[in-house]
Amino acid sequence: MGGPTPPVAPPAADKRRPSGDFVHLIPMMLVAVGFLAAWEAIVRLGVWPRIFFPGPTEVGTAFVELWNRATLARSIAATLSRLAVGFLLSLVLGSILALLMLHFTTFGKGIQPYVLGLQTFPSIAWVPLSIVWLGYSEAALLFVTIIGSLFAVTVSVADALRTVPTIYLKAARNMGCDGMELILRVTVPAALPHLISSAKVGWSFAWRSLVGAEVIFATVGLGFLVEQGSENLNIAQVMAVMLVILLLGVVVDRVVFSRSQEWVNRRWGLSTAR
Amino acid sequence: MKGAALRIVSLGMTFEGKTGGMEALRDINLEVGGAEFVTIVGPSGCGKSTLLSLVAGLEHPTTGWVEMDGVRVEGPGADRVVVFQESALFPWLDVQGNVQFGLRVAGVPRSEREARVAEFIKMVQLENFAHARIHELSGGMKQRVGLARALVLRPKVLLMDEPFAALDVQIREEMQVVVQDLWLRNATTTLFVTHDVREAAVLGDRIVVLSHRPGTVSTILTNDAPRPRTQNDPTVMEQIRRANEILKAEVTWADQHPL
Repeated sequence: MGGPTPPVAPPAADKRRPSGDFVHLIPMMLVAVGFLAAWEAIVRLGVWPRIFFPGPTEVGTAFVELWNRATLARSIAATLSRLAVGFLLSLVLGSILALLMLHFTTFGKGIQPYVLGLQTFPSIAWVPLSIVWLGYSEAALLFVTIIGSLFAVTVSVADALRTVPTIYLKAARNMGCDGMELILRVTVPAALPHLISSAKVGWSFAWRSLVGAEVIFATVGLGFLVEQGSENLNIAQVMAVMLVILLLGVVVDRVVFSRSQEWVNRRWGLSTAR
Repeated sequence: MKGAALRIVSLGMTFEGKTGGMEALRDINLEVGGAEFVTIVGPSGCGKSTLLSLVAGLEHPTTGWVEMDGVRVEGPGADRVVVFQESALFPWLDVQGNVQFGLRVAGVPRSEREARVAEFIKMVQLENFAHARIHELSGGMKQRVGLARALVLRPKVLLMDEPFAALDVQIREEMQVVVQDLWLRNATTTLFVTHDVREAAVLGDRIVVLSHRPGTVSTILTNDAPRPRTQNDPTVMEQIRRANEILKAEVTWADQHPL
């Protein structure tokens, strides 16, 4: 046959993004240095007494002290393990709720406005109820974490699943794929780039809810350390722990979510621009 | 394995909209023999893609029915596979993953699956690209993957929905050769929808010309010139001329009789 020309070269492997380039961290470092300098300058103006407005050195000392007493490590472990459990449960429950909303459209339409309302509902406002129902317990902290992030996950996952082009579903159904198998083999992988954003949204809601609840009623954890510092008028401790909370947020975002987003975008052939 | 015979009986489709019904197809009757290659051509909006969806079982007709080897089509099935435009490939799978998708769904054991996938990837000449990702392929290569993904299921009927509409003219002609070659090897009954009269004339044993909306069968032209053919074959050129005349008449008529 006067056949088509067979393609020759296999595609070149994707070799962007050499690992270990820290150049993009430089602006971040500059901002941190600038922040510390401005902070120290304000403290030295002496407008407020140092006990209420300690400078970077006092906060650094408080940090070292917490670290040496192993309090900090224990608190970080307590908070992060609560977060892991609460976040995972809210991801699972939120995804199930989103799937139900998409599958049973009337139910979905009926529940949608309430889910949207509950998404914006302040998680701290759940604290009194959770204490009444569950006492001053781990379960109560988990409850606030889950209820504070569940609906954000639901809204975001439902949106992500709705972005799946119908042509993929049509093509898969046409090849005999249906029901649960269609969801697992097509809908979820097709939506994965958006689902990672959903997980990120869920994580940030869960993190805020948990630390907030810990400030109010935990007996161990980062939120508790903030509250304890303020009770003892140890403002340096309050600020040190606040900085730890901030840094953990930055680290989780960069290490977990940005990495997986980049990976998926590369694999799916989406824009690789950072 | 020889393709199945299709019988399309009094098929009609009306879509319900906010401003009332939109009749896409009316009273389509068509018999397609086993291993026949039929092209369907018509003005845009004549319901030709709808016709394929109905044969695929992805939509349900308002009137009439479709039979395959005497059995009514009730829903989608892997015995009637559609090749869509290139966007229907799954970007989260590589070429091999796309081609084996239907076999995995069907639960074909691994050893057989791998052998069949390799065979069909070779048939569309993509053996060097088995592990390439979809976004790394050219438009023509993507459509080869689409063809392999459908044919690997050994369907009794292959339904092609303007598969080359997005390709450059040169690649499109190359793909027309590929399709004829695959059809000669696999003898799958094929319904090929296109808005390109030349493509319809090159590929079809019969060319079904649909009228303007609602789509009805206007004329059926026959072409038994030997394959593989190109647009320069005299019989093909004659069919292009005739099909164009009929389409022009249909469009003129539709302009004079607005809905």
